[in-house]
Amino acid sequence: MAIDVPEVVFLDLTKAIKLKRVVFLRENTGHATRHTVEWVTKTLQTVESKHLQSITVSPSNKDLPETIKQEAYQEWQDLDRLLVQFWTSHSIRPRVMYVAGRRGGKDLRADAPKLLPELTRRGLVDLVETRH
Amino acid sequence: MSSLPPEILDHVIDYLHNETATLKACCVVSKSWVPRARKHLFAHVELDACDFLFETWKKTFPDPSSSPAHHTRSLLILTPPTITAADTSAGGWVRTFRSVTHLQLIHLDRASLVLLHGLSPAVRSLNLTIVPFEVFDLICSFPLLEDLRLISLDPENDAEVWNPPLTSPKLTGHLDVRTSGVFPSVARRLLDLPGGLHFSKITAFFFPGDTGSVTDLVSECSDTLESLTARVYPSSAFPFASVTGQYLTTACGHRCTRGGLP
Repeated sequence: MAIDVPEVVFLDLTKAIKLKRVVFLRENTGHATRHTVEWVTKTLQTVESKHLQSITVSPSNKDLPETIKQEAYQEWQDLDRLLVQFWTSHSIRPRVMYVAGRRGGKDLRADAPKLLPELTRRGLVDLVETRH
Repeated sequence: MSSLPPEILDHVIDYLHNETATLKACCVVSKSWVPRARKHLFAHVELDACDFLFETWKKTFPDPSSSPAHHTRSLLILTPPTITAADTSAGGWVRTFRSVTHLQLIHLDRASLVLLHGLSPAVRSLNLTIVPFEVFDLICSFPLLEDLRLISLDPENDAEVWNPPLTSPKLTGHLDVRTSGVFPSVARRLLDLPGGLHFSKITAFFFPGDTGSVTDLVSECSDTLESLTARVYPSSAFPFASVTGQYLTTACGHRCTRGGLP
């Protein structure tokens, strides 16, 4: 019996030709986060603005490498590759935002390299602490 | 001191614009200092019927025409329904806040929409939390409006046919929409505005199923949009309760209940 997996409907930013900054915040509520990293990747792939200067992504507490599922981990690898492309083609250094003071916050800072290995290897990740 | 030109004294008082205690002290030094000190003391006003600030305001300034309301640039009204009723009995004092540029309304009802319609022609920033869906006529009543924040709209009547006004504000600033369940309806109303949308920044908290509506808003603002903040929630995890929920903690930190403030 086939199981219907809902297709990810991503945001189409094709027409936003003057876009300079995009921020993707991930829910931190403890609920399932399936597909949301893929959603970010697919949405970023639609960007055609020549003015893009800043990309910010925000892992959730569910993204700790020791707890993350293989499927979600693969989605992070895809995002990692895409962000590397943005660096090579647009010189955009991505920012990774994490919530300070919450459970897992410090771990997330330490484990960001595991989620975005190629970006980290090239020293291209700016970690940004937020309190919200 | 009396030999100093009043412009110099005004300049000195202006330097104290963040020093509330000092400004209050200035008011008792000289009557001539009062108007300038009031300009800063009443620049931001919060009216909350539940903690009697509203009653205090009415008692302190019984004559609306001489109240310092015209100094107010930033106005927060909590539970406008209570204030709407009081306004009727007090001779329309709410209208004296005619110079407000930043207006924040929390827990609005339909009757309040009429009272607050076009409250101040100078409003550039409108922040609405827990409001009925019919709020779009109110939004259009502020011709200079640039920034719009909508948090938790009542889904009741969201499917009704709406005849937008002939004109709508510029809407060139920041659109911040955090509504559970009615994002597509909100987007549709905004897209129906005759003047179009020209936001330079959009912040959207939404469910995965509302992605198409966000795309529509982004596309409508394609010539102006420079910044986008998107947060997608699983349908079971929206952090901003609907108005039918038990309570809601607003962005400004106030915890509201449906029956009034605790």
